Amino acid sequence: MKVHLRYGFACLAVLTLLYVLSLPAGAQNSESTIKVMPPGGPAPRMADGHPDLSGLWLPNSAGQGVSGRFGVDPLARRQFDPKVTPEEPPSFQPWALAKIKAMTPTELELSKSSVNCMPRGVPAIWLQNPYSTQLVSTPGQLVQLFEVLNNFRVIPTDGRPHTRYPEPLFQGEGVGRWEGDTLVVDGISFDERTYITPNGWFHSDALHVVERYTRPSMNYLIVEITVEDPKVLTKPWKSAPRRWTLTNDHINEFYCTNNHELDELQKLRTQELESKGK
Amino acid sequence: MKIARILGAAVITAGLLLPAVPSFAHHSFAAEFDATNCRDFTGTLTKIDWQNPHGYFYMDVKDANGKVESWSFQTYALITLKRAGIERQLFIDNIGKEVWVRGCLARNGRQNYAASGTLKFSDGILRQVGQLQD
Repeated sequence: MKVHLRYGFACLAVLTLLYVLSLPAGAQNSESTIKVMPPGGPAPRMADGHPDLSGLWLPNSAGQGVSGRFGVDPLARRQFDPKVTPEEPPSFQPWALAKIKAMTPTELELSKSSVNCMPRGVPAIWLQNPYSTQLVSTPGQLVQLFEVLNNFRVIPTDGRPHTRYPEPLFQGEGVGRWEGDTLVVDGISFDERTYITPNGWFHSDALHVVERYTRPSMNYLIVEITVEDPKVLTKPWKSAPRRWTLTNDHINEFYCTNNHELDELQKLRTQELESKGK
Repeated sequence: MKIARILGAAVITAGLLLPAVPSFAHHSFAAEFDATNCRDFTGTLTKIDWQNPHGYFYMDVKDANGKVESWSFQTYALITLKRAGIERQLFIDNIGKEVWVRGCLARNGRQNYAASGTLKFSDGILRQVGQLQD
């Protein structure tokens, strides 16, 4: 019993230490100079009366870059507060969970778009993307320009149906419609090489993604994602409403042409396989 | 010894528990670099390699015997550096000058290669140029 208690305390201590180490540097600072951006005035509207989603958006609550900076209010780093809008983990089918858990840390790393420079795809580009996204909203169409890897997407928003024979694409086939002030984008036909999140969450050809976009105020864009994948998940997964903030910065070029990381991790993978005698 | 065993088992348990929580980290520093093998480097900045997805800078570093070795260090993505106000020109202006950097070595044993974390040029300002943890 004594040993179990000590073991429990040791577990708690290790988890606490890992949690503290995982906090952004700013979370451990007492003085913050970069704070949560105020919501601003009402959202602009397009000529057709729908909200204008145009702008350069950053995946944080600061309206400016927060990585690599000191003095950032931890709230300004966040896209949502898990205490207010908790996000359930995905519920995997046993075979899918076993497949994910069988990946070594190096294999997991090699699967990440941020390492292998493959397009993130939808919905990962809205769930795990530390860089800016430029939206150009016009009546009937939404253009998304992703800074990361120079990816782009053009989504019709006139309520048209999916095409009869869509081909698998990294961004899938997305068609949009307005439900009041919410733009709903329905996505199907995704390339199976993409991951939903960079923790091994793969998907099947049955993946169906629904994106909901709202602009509740001038400075805030809210993106909410629903993932349905009956071949991999036991039930649909819904993201928290994630806040993106308007920035007056500009979008950068990002061609992935000098990827040492991929080579280094592949060497590590080879070493792992050799040590296992495979 | 007993404590070490308990702590070791706790680390393994913690490791098994953590993946159950979805992690949305960009990518893992710990997969490529060894957070338990970090050190301070002081040397002369010799060149930079300013291309995506990461920047690299090179330093001549003297070892304990006075032998000069060239080291390369990985930085954050260039966009991250730029948004943090760390421009390429700052590195260019410091070529040939002394630099201090905290770095962690590659896990695959590659020689003279590390991830950079904090850095100081001759202006003495502490800058975060890379991640030294997940």
